[in-house]
Amino acid sequence: MDRLNKLPLFGLQPLILILLLTLIVIVATILQPGFLSYFHMTMILYGNSILGILALAQTMCILSGGLDLSIGSTYWVTVMAGAMLMKNHGFLFPMIVCILLGGIIGLINGIGISKLKIPHVVMTLAMMIFLTGILYVTTGGGGKGRAAEALIIFSTKRILGFPVIAMIWVALTLILYFIINNTCFGWKVRALGSNARTCYCSGINVDSVQMLVYFISGILAAIAGLLYLGWARTPYPTFQSGAGVGADITLKSIAAVIIGGTLFSGGRGGVLRTLLGVLVLAFLFSILSMVGLKLEWQMILNGIIILLVVGIHGRFSSE
Amino acid sequence: MKNSWILTMCRKQTEMKSNVKDFFSEWYIYIILIVFWVTSCSISPYFRTISNFSNIFESAVPIALIGLGQTIVILSGGFDLSVGVTASLATAIASETMGLSITLGILLVLGVSFVVGLINGFGVSKFNIESFIMTLGMMFLLKGIAFLLRPTPGGYIPESFQKALLYKISGFSIVAVLILILVAVIGITVLQRRKFGREIYAVGGDPNAAKMAGINVDKTKMKAFIISAICAGLGGLFIAARIGSGNSNAGDPYLFDSFTVVFMGGTLVTGGIGGYKGTFGSTLIIASLSSILQFMGITIWYHFIIKGLLLAGVVGIQLYIIRRRTS
Repeated sequence: MDRLNKLPLFGLQPLILILLLTLIVIVATILQPGFLSYFHMTMILYGNSILGILALAQTMCILSGGLDLSIGSTYWVTVMAGAMLMKNHGFLFPMIVCILLGGIIGLINGIGISKLKIPHVVMTLAMMIFLTGILYVTTGGGGKGRAAEALIIFSTKRILGFPVIAMIWVALTLILYFIINNTCFGWKVRALGSNARTCYCSGINVDSVQMLVYFISGILAAIAGLLYLGWARTPYPTFQSGAGVGADITLKSIAAVIIGGTLFSGGRGGVLRTLLGVLVLAFLFSILSMVGLKLEWQMILNGIIILLVVGIHGRFSSE
Repeated sequence: MKNSWILTMCRKQTEMKSNVKDFFSEWYIYIILIVFWVTSCSISPYFRTISNFSNIFESAVPIALIGLGQTIVILSGGFDLSVGVTASLATAIASETMGLSITLGILLVLGVSFVVGLINGFGVSKFNIESFIMTLGMMFLLKGIAFLLRPTPGGYIPESFQKALLYKISGFSIVAVLILILVAVIGITVLQRRKFGREIYAVGGDPNAAKMAGINVDKTKMKAFIISAICAGLGGLFIAARIGSGNSNAGDPYLFDSFTVVFMGGTLVTGGIGGYKGTFGSTLIIASLSSILQFMGITIWYHFIIKGLLLAGVVGIQLYIIRRRTS
């Protein structure tokens, strides 16, 4: 508990974020009266649900003291695999294959990190590059395949004006919240993030917890991929010359987790904070693009916010 | 596993290196390199041309420079994820300012890199931020700045600057080779023979013990990150000269390559053990690997698969051997 007292910002962070969120909304409504309308709010949720689900997966990894840099590439691999399979194999079979694929990729990450003790940064970076290569070789670098009609209808559907994708995002957040706070596994994940050695000494099977965390992360990435597939219909992965495919969304997911208030060193935090983090980023960038600030400024701002948050946390925990 | 290279490398820190086995463990990467070159030359007639070797050496220069910085940071017990983006930013700055004056461009790149390294080092040492997240945040920041400066590839790199760095005598790029030799000599001497180098090893091996021994741990870490950023900036200048323009994505692949060469060269992920000798040897291997794969008709995207497997494989084997040794 000593450590908690030394982190005054940690408890306050959700409060600060909520204040920030209200401030943004007030400013935005003054600038643009339509901002607070139900339709616009749901549009923002609709546009950020994919990122939100990926950020949930990232939260699990960071809570357990790890990091998943391959989350964006896993997501793209499942998107493309789904699109290519759905062309000929109907609807259900490709979905199962995609989710399994995501799980297997996550499991490989988990095995590398837990059994071979490869540092998570190195393992998931290697996985990102590997998947980029696989993706390009199999698709030839362009858009391919098409989502099944049922998936398209599902992904773009709104119930009472509320998008289904956002409902899934919120539902997954609540499920993970329950898992992290109320199950044995959740406690183990947080214990692992706080202190891996103590965790091992008290008889927790560290390896299997770690593997399960990355497995869940892979599956969540696959779910996000399927939802995006229904949304985009025929997806085109963006290959950059250097960084692997999906690197941008991976970075955004990490940013959302850190800004939401989960400690990067692991052990403390949660998915509700991440939900808040995604919302703050979404509203902030929505208002910034309204003012006419370019995408590059969003990146710079993202970087500055991350450095500020980890800097303040680091400063307090070192004293 | 008694003769494994990692074992001898660990033992070497305490023992005198006098026997032949130690010699082989020290230079094993160069033996692999020579075997690799001989087989490649016999497989492909295109590989055994002077122009191909010039090309290999030219593409090795940025990897060698960025690898030197990454070696120092990893030896000191951290990671630097911002090296690739720093190199990209360097090409962007160079393409904007070199039109005015080449010296100004170089100085500006060096200045910006210095500041980047300073901030990284300051965050890691004074604010206790983990080096991944510190350099990851930096990555965001620099990527944004690079894209503000140079949204699309282009800009102007003076001909004279390009010609000077890529100067060729009868088809052989002699300047690139000289730079490589210089980097290797500086890297190996500084890490093995200078006080700063030994401090890096001490800090990476055990920061607390280093502190007890009177080493200024914060200062050493800061220096490591500054050197890494400056090396990345210099690498970026060479990349700019090679591609002849500024590109805000050009440096990104080198982040991955820098990890591969460092770990392939036998530097441990945990810090404290390793050196630049191995990094330099594996730099040449990685540069030649791209070349031979191209001559064998394998497209660039398979390189990604191979490099991904190589990195995970190398680190996995390295750690497996260590655990065998310690248990």
